[in-house]
Amino acid sequence: MRPDPAFVAYPGRRLFVLAVLSLLTLALLGRALGLVLVDGEFLLTQGDARALRTVAVPTHRGMILDRNGEPLAASTAVESVWVNPKELVTARERWAELARALGMSAKHLEQLLSGRLNREFVYLRRHLEPGRAEQVKDLGIAGVYLQREYRRYYPTGEVTGHVVGFTDVDDVGQEGIELAYDHWLRGTAGAKRVIRDGRGRIVEDVESIKAPQPGRDLYLSIDRRLQYLAYRELKAAVKEHRARGGSVVMLDARTGEVLAMVNQPAYNPNNTADRVGARFRNRAVTDVFEPGSTVKPFTVAAGLEAGTIRPDTIIDTSPGTLKVGRLTVRDVHNCGVVDVGGVIRKSSNVGATKIALSMPAQALWRVFHGVGFGQPTGGDFPGEVFGILTDPKRWGEVHRATLSYGYGLNVTALQLARSYLAFASDGFLPPVTVLRRDGVDRGQPVLSAPSVRHVRRMLESVADEGGTGTKARAVGYRVGGKTGTAKKTADGHYASNRYLALFSGLAPVSAPRLVMVATIDEPSGDAYYGGQVAAPVFGRIVGEALRILGVPPDDTGAVPQRLALHSDALAARTPPAGGGL
Amino acid sequence: MRKLAVAGAVPASEAPARHSLADRHDLWLMGALAAILTLGLVMVASASIALADRQTGQPLYYLWRQLGYTGAGVLLMALTTRIPLARWRAHGPLLLFASVVLLGLVLVPGVGREVNGSYRWIPLGPINMQPSELAKLFMILFLAGYLVRRGHEVRARFSGFAKPMALLVGISGLLLMEPDYGATAVLFATTLGMLFLGGVPLVLFLGWVAAGLGVMVAMVLLAPYRLQRLTTFMDPWVDPFNTGFQLTQALIAVGRGQWLGVGLGGSVQKLFYLPEAHTDFLVAVLAEELGLLGVSVVVGLFAFVVLRAFQLARQAEDREDPFAAYVGYGIGLSLALQALVNVGVNLGALPTKGLTLPLMSYGGSSMLVNCLAAGLLLRLAHEQRLGGAR
Repeated sequence: MRPDPAFVAYPGRRLFVLAVLSLLTLALLGRALGLVLVDGEFLLTQGDARALRTVAVPTHRGMILDRNGEPLAASTAVESVWVNPKELVTARERWAELARALGMSAKHLEQLLSGRLNREFVYLRRHLEPGRAEQVKDLGIAGVYLQREYRRYYPTGEVTGHVVGFTDVDDVGQEGIELAYDHWLRGTAGAKRVIRDGRGRIVEDVESIKAPQPGRDLYLSIDRRLQYLAYRELKAAVKEHRARGGSVVMLDARTGEVLAMVNQPAYNPNNTADRVGARFRNRAVTDVFEPGSTVKPFTVAAGLEAGTIRPDTIIDTSPGTLKVGRLTVRDVHNCGVVDVGGVIRKSSNVGATKIALSMPAQALWRVFHGVGFGQPTGGDFPGEVFGILTDPKRWGEVHRATLSYGYGLNVTALQLARSYLAFASDGFLPPVTVLRRDGVDRGQPVLSAPSVRHVRRMLESVADEGGTGTKARAVGYRVGGKTGTAKKTADGHYASNRYLALFSGLAPVSAPRLVMVATIDEPSGDAYYGGQVAAPVFGRIVGEALRILGVPPDDTGAVPQRLALHSDALAARTPPAGGGL
Repeated sequence: MRKLAVAGAVPASEAPARHSLADRHDLWLMGALAAILTLGLVMVASASIALADRQTGQPLYYLWRQLGYTGAGVLLMALTTRIPLARWRAHGPLLLFASVVLLGLVLVPGVGREVNGSYRWIPLGPINMQPSELAKLFMILFLAGYLVRRGHEVRARFSGFAKPMALLVGISGLLLMEPDYGATAVLFATTLGMLFLGGVPLVLFLGWVAAGLGVMVAMVLLAPYRLQRLTTFMDPWVDPFNTGFQLTQALIAVGRGQWLGVGLGGSVQKLFYLPEAHTDFLVAVLAEELGLLGVSVVVGLFAFVVLRAFQLARQAEDREDPFAAYVGYGIGLSLALQALVNVGVNLGALPTKGLTLPLMSYGGSSMLVNCLAAGLLLRLAHEQRLGGAR
């Protein structure tokens, strides 16, 4: 190596350069110190403002259970897929793939997002099963996010649809119990502070601000087994008679609890497309009708209470018509000379009219009003109506006459069922409830015990040979009740061929456990009388319901061949294994 | 410094025959370099984990690649310590010519790869080559040779200064066409620094410095985005979600770190808030995770290496090996400037520009070239130890 003879070192310049570098280094360290000491607070705040978020911790709704703890409505965790369109546009080429994973057409996705590209939050699909949502997320497309939500699931579907109701997509009660007890069932979302990354995903939970409060469970008075039984029999009857619809209401005779309440047409609350008013309406509480002959036992009870008749009072209903003012009251057949029980058994309008006109309007009103016509039932049903019972001061003779056989007032199926509680319980009228009731609320006394016993005996005679309700009989149990065939109005007039077939009754007569009303709306076959159409529904349901409840039979003296016949019919309907309801 | 120099020189002259590692090599320098490389790998791994996972599904994707670059770099470094410095002197012009050709190639459409609007890379199979990194180092080697060959001319005549300046302006022009403003600034400052130490008359030098600054100002005024970057860095909070986005995120990272940091791996800013966290803004993540303490350690390590380079250069002057001295000064200056600019950008003290932190930031070209430079420093130390024997 040849040393350069002309080489000159510059120690001063070197020192100068080193000094400059050192100063710059110190300046930088000073800057770093300043950032921490002076701006630290500000920078931390700014950082928190970007990364720290308070997010809701969703929680589920309480379960709705039947009286035995069987689930009627439960919440399951689902994921909703939402997108930030601003991010999603960066992956335009993967939209088709995303649409496929969501089970929608690419065109539909385009439509969803067009015009929303400037937003930062758009739901693409609500309530996806977690497994499928995971697949969507695993595509790894920018701007696609999941949100945990809870979806309501109704295991009994159509069977309990009208009672239980449903929630909307945001889990808020819309109908039925879901609506009436929304405040009880609804959970309170919690809140927590989290750290989000730059793409909005939560990377760390910092602290819990408020613990989520899950909704409370609710026990209904409904018995799922009886509910299913009622649903099955009503549906079969409505189909058989090609009727417009129908309702069955079954109450516990001792407590006023609703054990079953079904309507036709029904809907499946799990299927949002099924949720149309005509189908999800709980007709048993929202629709009123003129109860027809089913109120005759109350006319009789009023007479007994007022003392204008006795059970053995003889009434001449010949010739089957009676003129009251401008009204002509008619019986279907001429019932002739009958006792009071005969009026009930044969359902004589003339007889009922004569009884009603034998007492002051006030006496009739007191009983009708007392058993709850035109009154709240005490059950919390959304959309429930209470019917009309007018002021007795304005009742003329004609009105009293028509009232006696069930026209000129209207009631709901639930109200009618409740009124029969008075016959089942020696004159007491407990409020009805759809919630499981611990302890017995006997309610107010509305009829005297002796009158009730007399009427109950007459009700039982309805199912005897010669009565209008023989088809209401149940194997092994004594039943009592009253048929009804009410003319329906159309355009303000009674239509000649549109009827509501009714049966209202109780069982077993010796110690009533169940009160039940069955209505079939506009049966379109040859049969339309309550005794032909509604009574069999009552008999089938009540008999099996009592067996399900383990109530000992009180009709041990039943005619053997009748028993055998019914057993065969029962065996044909029941699976060999004997399982099911 | 004087003391250190003597201490370093003593073993070489007293026991030239002994061949223990400490006798032949600068273990302190090696230790500092190893510490920088290791810390760099740890931080690249930490800063890139979320990004790598999102981009490739492999959280350690960038770490494995950087490990490969670092391994290759260390091999290159070891190789360089076996090559006499004088060999580089002979090939200086050729190497510079080659890198200038590459700088030209990168601007040819179809050859250079565009990233974020700049043509800085030539794709070579699995890695991308960045010619500007090579140019920076080979300019230093060329200039060291030039200063030795034309020492008289440089110190006495205008032409001695003007010729390398013309070359510098030419190369800078190529760099600005990419554009790579950061590399240009470092190259310019390094070259001027070497010429300054090489003895250019002060009057000439100051004149040229003024002219150079004028050119830079002109560049800024001609391309508005540079002006925007300049104004942004002074107060990034004016528009924190647009022009000031990257810088505010970096500053937040530093602020979050405080004295001791949030802990290794605990950075939030690297989670898609701070862009380029594993490359240009590695220091911000380091500041967040390891705090002011971590930043001080990094600055300290670089300061040690730079001071060591100047010390070795001075020792080379003492033993009248000017080429080695200029190489030492050049590399020291270049390392110092890059580190200062990078840290300065991370702390918001300088306008944001694409410049990596040497030996630490993610990137193959930068790693290999800086390892080569570090190898040259180690060779310089080695020759200092052998000096007495020659």
